[in-house]
Amino acid sequence: MRSRPGQRFFHAWVLLTPALVLLSLFVAWPLLRALSWSFQQVSILNPQEVEPVGWSNYAWMISDPRFRQAYANTALFALMVVPLQTLLSFFIALWVDRPNPAWRWLRHAFFLPVIISMPVLAVLWTMLYQPMEGDQMGLINRLVTTLGFPAQDWLGNPDLALPAIAILSIWQGVGFQMMIFLAGLQNLGADQLEAARIDGAGPGKRLWHIILPGMKPSIVFVVVTTTLLSFRLFVQPYIMTRGGPENRTVSIIQLIYETTFLNRDLGLAGAGTVIFLLSLVIPLAILRLMRRAAT
Amino acid sequence: MIRRPLPWGISLAAALLFLSPLLWMLGGSFAPESSIFTSPLGISSLKEVSFQNYSDAWRRANLGLALFNSLLQVAGILGLGLIINSMAAFAFARLTFRGRDIVFMLVVGLMILPMEVLVIPLFLTAKDLHLTGPYPNVMAGLILPFTAKAVNIFFLRQHFLSLPTETEEAALIDGAGWFRMYSSIALPSIRPALSTVIVLDLITHWSDFLWPLVICTREETRTVQIALANLFTQPPVQWGDILACSVLLTLPVLLIFRFAQRHLVASDLGAGNK
Repeated sequence: MRSRPGQRFFHAWVLLTPALVLLSLFVAWPLLRALSWSFQQVSILNPQEVEPVGWSNYAWMISDPRFRQAYANTALFALMVVPLQTLLSFFIALWVDRPNPAWRWLRHAFFLPVIISMPVLAVLWTMLYQPMEGDQMGLINRLVTTLGFPAQDWLGNPDLALPAIAILSIWQGVGFQMMIFLAGLQNLGADQLEAARIDGAGPGKRLWHIILPGMKPSIVFVVVTTTLLSFRLFVQPYIMTRGGPENRTVSIIQLIYETTFLNRDLGLAGAGTVIFLLSLVIPLAILRLMRRAAT
Repeated sequence: MIRRPLPWGISLAAALLFLSPLLWMLGGSFAPESSIFTSPLGISSLKEVSFQNYSDAWRRANLGLALFNSLLQVAGILGLGLIINSMAAFAFARLTFRGRDIVFMLVVGLMILPMEVLVIPLFLTAKDLHLTGPYPNVMAGLILPFTAKAVNIFFLRQHFLSLPTETEEAALIDGAGWFRMYSSIALPSIRPALSTVIVLDLITHWSDFLWPLVICTREETRTVQIALANLFTQPPVQWGDILACSVLLTLPVLLIFRFAQRHLVASDLGAGNK
C-alpha cells in the first residue's frame, strides 16, 4: 500500500508496542526467570540472593517421590479423560446433529456445564460425592444405591478419588468437544452421507467409511486440546481433595505451587516448571513435525 | 408435530440425567439445611422455598464486594485486551515492516504456554512492579498480566487476513490514515470474531482461581471464586449458603452468554485454543 516505508514502520510499532511490552513483561520475563531459578538456590523470602547450583534442582525434583506421584496422577487423569471424553462427545455430537431447529435445546443442555466456572463445579461435585451418613447422602450415592450398589466415600477412597475427579471433568468439558465435532460434521456435508445412504450403506458403514475419515482433523484437534487441558489440572483436586487421600490426586501445578509457598524454594519450583513445560512442548513439537511431514 | 417419540424420550431422559447436578444445585439453594442431602432434588417440597441461603451467603461471603472486584477485573481484561490485541493483530495482518515475521513467530511461540505454570515467577514480577497488596495496585495486578494474549492476537489476525483489502485501499486513497483504517473499517468488520474473544475471555477470567488465590491476600480484594472457596473451607460449613453462592456466581455468565450466543460461530469456539 501507499505510505512511505519509514512511516509504515513507525505505524506498525505504535500498534504493536502495547502488546509486545505486556507479553515480554508478563509472559517472556517470568518464563526466563523460572529458567534461571532452576539452576540456582533461591528462597522466596529473599529472591535477590542466589547461588548457582547447576543441575541439582532438576536431580532433586526428578527423584522426589511426591513429584513423581504428581506426574503419575496427572498422566493417569489425562489417560482417563482424553479417550472417554473424546468418545462420549463424538457420539453425543452424532446424536444431536439434527437439522431441525427444534433440537437446539439438546445441544444447549450438553453445552451448559462448559460455561459454568470450574471452582463452582468442583464445590458442587464435592457435595454430589458426599458419603452416606444416615439418610443423608450426595446425589451420586443416591443414584448408586438406587441401582443396587453400595454407597462409596468417593473422594476419601485413594482408588476412587482421581476417577471421581475425572468424571466431573469429563462432564464439564464434553459439551465443548461436542461443539467442535458438530462444526466438523457440518463441514462434512449432508450430500455425501445422503449419497451413501442411497447406495445402501448402513449406519456402521457410513460411520466407518465417511464420517470417521472426514472427521479426522476435528478428532486430532479434540485429542490434542483435551490432552493439553488435562495436563493443566489444578482447580478440581485443589478444591475437592487438596491432593489427598495419600497424595493420590496431587497435580503437577499444585506441587509446584506448594514447593514455592510451603517449602519456599524457588529453585525447585523453577526446575518443576521447566520440566513440566518441556513435557507439554515436546509432544506438541513432535506432532507439528509429523503433521508437516504428512502433508 | 413430534413424529418420532423415541429419540425425544431418550434425549429428554439423557439431558435430565446430565443436568441433574445443576438442578440439584438450584433446588438446594432454596432449601433448609436438613433437606439438601435427603432429597434428590435438593429440596423436599415447594413449601420449603426461602431466600434465607441467599441472604446468608451474600453477607457471609461479602459477595457484594467480591462481585464488584470480579466485574472490574473482567471488564478491565476484556476492554484493554480487545484494544491491545486487535491493534497488534492488525499490524501483523496488514502492515509490512522489517522483522514482522520473526516477531510474529515469537508471539505464536508464547501461545502454548499455559498461564498456570508461570504463576510463581509472575507473582514475583507483579510484586516487583507493586501490583500486589491493597487497592488499586492489586486490581492492576489482576488485570494487566492477562490483557495481551498471544492466542487472541493470532486468532484476530486470521480474521483480519480474511477481509477483502479493497475497502481499505479505497479508504487509503481517500486519505484515511492507518489508524482510521484499523478503527473504522477493519475492526467493525470482524465483529463476530471480537464477540468470540470476549465471550471466551469472560468465561475464562470469571472462573480465575489460582491467580487471585496468589495475589489477593487482603480480604477486601477477593474475587468471587475465592469468596466461594472460603465459604466452602471456613467453618461452620453451611451447604445451603454454598449452593446459593454457586447459583449467584453462575447467573451473570449464563445471562451474558445467552445474550451473546447469536453472535458466535461454533467453529470459532475451538479456534481460540489452536
